[in-house]
Amino acid sequence: MISYILRRLVLMIPVALLVTMGVFAIARLSPADPALVFAGEERDPAVLASIRRELGLDQPLPIQYIAWLGRALQGDLGRSFQTQQPVLEAIAQRLPATFELGIAALTISITLALVIGTLSAVKRNSVVDLLSTSVTLMGVSFPSFFLGILLIMLFAYVVPGRIFPPGGFVPITDDPGENLRRLVLPAITLATGTLAVNLRQVRSSLLDVFGQEYVRTARAKGLGERAVVVRHALKNALIPVVTLIGIQIGAIIEGAFITETIFFWPGIGRLAVQAIPSQDYPVVQGVVLISAFSFMVSTLLVDVLYAWIDPRISYGRVRD
Amino acid sequence: MADTAVPIVIRRPTEDRVGAVLFFLRRNPRMIIGGAIVLAWLAAAAFAPWIAPYDPIKQNVSEALLPPSLRHWLGTDDLGRDVLSRVMWGGRVSLSVGVISVSIGLFVGTTLGLVAGYLGGKYDLLIMRGIDALLAFPALVLAIAITSSLGPQIQNAMIAIGIVAIPAYARLTRGQVLAVRAREYIVAARTIGAKPLRIVLRHVLPNVMNALIVQATLSTAFAILAEAALSFLGLGPQPPYPSWGQDISYSTRYLPNLKWWMSVGPGMAIFTAVFAFNFLGDALRDAIDPRLRRSG
Repeated sequence: MISYILRRLVLMIPVALLVTMGVFAIARLSPADPALVFAGEERDPAVLASIRRELGLDQPLPIQYIAWLGRALQGDLGRSFQTQQPVLEAIAQRLPATFELGIAALTISITLALVIGTLSAVKRNSVVDLLSTSVTLMGVSFPSFFLGILLIMLFAYVVPGRIFPPGGFVPITDDPGENLRRLVLPAITLATGTLAVNLRQVRSSLLDVFGQEYVRTARAKGLGERAVVVRHALKNALIPVVTLIGIQIGAIIEGAFITETIFFWPGIGRLAVQAIPSQDYPVVQGVVLISAFSFMVSTLLVDVLYAWIDPRISYGRVRD
Repeated sequence: MADTAVPIVIRRPTEDRVGAVLFFLRRNPRMIIGGAIVLAWLAAAAFAPWIAPYDPIKQNVSEALLPPSLRHWLGTDDLGRDVLSRVMWGGRVSLSVGVISVSIGLFVGTTLGLVAGYLGGKYDLLIMRGIDALLAFPALVLAIAITSSLGPQIQNAMIAIGIVAIPAYARLTRGQVLAVRAREYIVAARTIGAKPLRIVLRHVLPNVMNALIVQATLSTAFAILAEAALSFLGLGPQPPYPSWGQDISYSTRYLPNLKWWMSVGPGMAIFTAVFAFNFLGDALRDAIDPRLRRSG
C-alpha cells in the first residue's frame, strides 16, 4: 500500500510540472502586454521598461518560468494587478466560502443520490425509477446557470415572503441562520449537475450488485429485503461511488466559477471571474493553479481510498 | 427437431435495407428523438437568416420587454429585440463552436492517441503525461483560463473547448490501438511491408471509428454547454451579437422585474440542444458499440 502511494506520488511529479508550465503559459499566451495592464494609465516608455524589469518580463521565458515556479513553491503567487493584494492571501480569504458551498453541494448531491438511487434500483421500472432516470437525463443537460436563475426568480421574486434571497453571503460566524438561508439556492444549483452523475452510478452499481451470487445467497438464507439491500448490496455498490466523489471535486470547482458568479458568492471562482475582464493574470493564474492541484490531490486521495476499500484493486498496476 | 423444415424468407436487397433501417429506428426511439432535435437545431441555425422572424440585433424600443405573444413567440428584450430570432441566430454560434471545437479535439486527440499507442515507448510516455496534465485541470476551468488569456472571442472559445476535448479522444484511441496492435492482421500487414502510416490509417483507425463517433456526439453536448458557460461569463461573442449564454447573463438584470422570457428562451435552447446530443450519443453508443453499454 505504501509503495502504491509512493509510486502514485512519483508519477504525479512530471504531471504537476507540466501543469505549472500550462498555468505559466496561460498568462504568457495573452496578446496583451502584462506591463501595460500593470501600469494602468501610465504610458511612459521608461516607466513601462522599469515595470517590465520589476516583473522580470525582460528575461527569457524559461528563466521567467523558473523564477515564477520558485516563488510559487514558496507560496508567493504574485500580487493582484488591481488591488496589489498578494494572490495567495486573496485566495485564502475566499476559500472558506468556496469550501462551504462545495461541501453543502456534495452533501445534497450524495444524500439524494443514495436515497433516490437505491429506491430506484430496488423498485426498478417503478415511478421512482422513471423519475430518477429522467432527473439523470435532465440533470446532465441542464445548464447550471439557467437553473440558478430559475431558482432565484422563483424563490426570491415569485414566492411571496422571499424565503431565500437572490444572492450574497453572510459569514457563518456573524449569523449562522442567515448564512444557511443564503446557502440553499447556490448549493442546490451546484449540486444538480453532480446529482445526475451520482444517481446514475448508485443505481447502476446497485443493479450490478443485485445480480451477484452473495446477494442471492443472502436472500436464500431468508434475510429480509432491507437487510439484503443495506447490509450486503449497498456496501459493495458504494465502491465505485467513492471514485465519483473524487471526480466531482473537479465538477464542484468548475461549477463554483458559474454558481458563485450568479449568486454573488465571494469564493475563489468569483475572484477569478472578476479578475478576467481587467486582465489581472496573477489572480487568474493563482486560482487555476490551486484548482488544478486540489483536483489532482483529491483524485490521488480517492484512488488510494479506493484501493484501500476494495482489496481486489492491485497496487502494482497504476494506470491502464 | 433436426429434420424440421425451417422456412426461409428471402427479401429483395433494397427492401431489406429499408426494412432494416426502419426496424433499427423502431428499436431505437432515443435515436429518433435525439436525432430529430439535433437536425431541427442544425436547420434553425443554418437557415436563421431566412427563417428568423426579425433582425436579432436591430433595436426597436417601442416593442421593449413584451411577453410572448403571436407576434413575438418568445417575447422581446429590453431593447425590443425578438428573443426567438436571437435564439435562432445564437444557435449558429453554439453549434458552430460545438462542431469546430469537437473537430479540433477529435483530430488532435485521435492523432496523439494513434501515435502514442502505435509507436509506444518514449512517444507514449511523453504524450500520455501531457494528456494527464490536461486532465489535471477541471475541464471548464481550463477552458475559462485559455479563453481569458487568448481574449474573449468566439474563435478562442473554440480553441479552448477543443483543447479540453483532446484527452478523451487520445485515451480512447490509444486504448483501442493497444488492443489491436498485436492482432494477426496487423502483424500480417507489417510482414508484407506496409508502412506504419498505412497500417494505422487502414487497419487500426477503422477499429476506433465507432467509439469515436459516440464520443464526438457526446462531446458536442459538452462543447455547447461549455460555450454557453463561457459566454455567460462574458468570454464568448461580445454584445450585441446573439449568443445563448451571453443572452442569459444579460437577462439577469431583469430578474427582479420577472421578465422571465428573456432567460427562458436561450435557457431552453441550450437545454434542448445539449439534451439532444446527449440522448443521441447514448443511443448511438448502445446501438453501434454494445461493448461500451453501461449496465442499467
